[in-house]
Amino acid sequence: MAAPAELVRLLDERGWTAEPPTAHPLSGVSESRWVLPAHLVAAARALKEAGYFYESLTCVDRLDPHGAFELVLTFARWDAPARIGVRVWTPKDEPVPSLAGVFGIAEWNEREAWELFGVEFSDHPKLRWLLLPDGTEFRPLLKSFTAPPPSIYDDSLTAPASPDDRTDPDTHG
Amino acid sequence: MTAQTPTLTAEPLDTYTLNMGPQHPSTHGVLRLVLTLRGEKLVHVDPVIGYGHRGHEKMAENRTYAQFLPNTSRQDYLSGVIYNNAWCEAVEKLAGIAVPERALVARVILAEFNRLASHLMWIGAYLLDLGGWTPQLYTWDDREAILFLLESVTGSRLTYCTGRFGGLSRDLDADFPARARVVLKKLKDRWQEYEDLVEGNVIFVQRTRGVGIFTKEQCQSYGVTGSSLRAAGVAYDVRKVEPYGAYPRFQFDIPTRPESDAFARYWVRVQEMKQSVRIIEQALEQLPDGPILTERGLGSKKRLKLPVGTQYYAVEAARGAYGILLVSEGGTEPYRAKFRVPSYANLAVMQDVMPGYMVADLVGILGSIDVIIPEIDR
Repeated sequence: MAAPAELVRLLDERGWTAEPPTAHPLSGVSESRWVLPAHLVAAARALKEAGYFYESLTCVDRLDPHGAFELVLTFARWDAPARIGVRVWTPKDEPVPSLAGVFGIAEWNEREAWELFGVEFSDHPKLRWLLLPDGTEFRPLLKSFTAPPPSIYDDSLTAPASPDDRTDPDTHG
Repeated sequence: MTAQTPTLTAEPLDTYTLNMGPQHPSTHGVLRLVLTLRGEKLVHVDPVIGYGHRGHEKMAENRTYAQFLPNTSRQDYLSGVIYNNAWCEAVEKLAGIAVPERALVARVILAEFNRLASHLMWIGAYLLDLGGWTPQLYTWDDREAILFLLESVTGSRLTYCTGRFGGLSRDLDADFPARARVVLKKLKDRWQEYEDLVEGNVIFVQRTRGVGIFTKEQCQSYGVTGSSLRAAGVAYDVRKVEPYGAYPRFQFDIPTRPESDAFARYWVRVQEMKQSVRIIEQALEQLPDGPILTERGLGSKKRLKLPVGTQYYAVEAARGAYGILLVSEGGTEPYRAKFRVPSYANLAVMQDVMPGYMVADLVGILGSIDVIIPEIDR
């Protein structure tokens, strides 16, 4: 079993990690590293070989001051309290390599990050809506998103087509 | 003028598509499965989720930490106490709030009772899926006793919200341990009955043995956790691997089984209920006196400000590992909150597990993972 400290040192030695773009601390993990998007797939493969499973993917909107998204991936293992945080800094409109080829669950997690934030993933087998209705054009988890547009399923705000369509309350007692 | 008539092709129909849901009774929520079938054999399964998407993660960004508390038990509505506690503990961890001993133990008692209620509900519903009506009457009777107990403390039967930052909003009353022991006795008297009624039933055994097998590779690739993973022979339980709250002080085992079929998942859950009873018995014994909410009163503070930072916090919910990733920018509201829900991975793995089985096995496999759709949709 590769201890988390050894494993992240291996990632450092191979030149897959980067300097932190922000000082924002991450706790609740044994070790964490900022991984360069170009080496993300290789890093994930190394973690998988060491016996880790893909636990979660969180996208954080850092557009306002930085013009980028922060992706926080956590990997954990079954036999020891070892959690590795992999953080990826990705400028807006720059695709991130998909991990769907390494971990099956990455497919759904990445679809979520795409539909809720607009993060593009390259080589993703099916980058379509997961939680939102197909064809949704807004990105609800962006900080710039505040009010939901009128729903296509909600006709409560639609005015009747013409006054004649309205039933006359008098004729119905 | 010649009529345009459709011509029938001589080629045999290879595969066809069948929609199961979104409101099929055995999908346990609004879930749609798009099935590709060859004859009665499953070739491809595509789960379509999101019908119950309420935007809990966006809601978290628009209210204070305390205002979000009621949302937590509306994710997995069958183990609300566990989710409610997890949110409190994640915030406490980031804010550095100490929790009184009594509250730590009381949280374990309520959480384990909730786990029992959730597992009992699952057993009843699962056997109903497989056509057995009677066991449900037993499990609902037992679950009802637990719900009365939880109601007497929390005031709710399903969407519990007694967690506060730094403890609980209500204390366990003086006769709670006595009433709890009555319920535990009732449950312990039932185990043998369940065994005779269910495990000895030839229809149940034949419909669940050797069905819906997960390999360890699939579990790792999808991040399957909870009873589904333990039934695949992996003793992973967050309460043991990363002990939190008062769990380190209690003795309990992690039941596992190597077969990884639907029967193994049933068996593991029944054994887990016995372990939960064991934990509650110890916790009632060791329940310390003292305050239930921290003296500083941060729990009732409406505008709690958390330091800048990202916190990952994991607990063992009734369905597996539940994780909260909380991002704070120093304000009174979370900057971002992400919920890693166990059913998400447990359902996603179905795409890999189900192909190859018969359509009649589908309900037996889907039911066996104990899926809660509202927590997937969030």
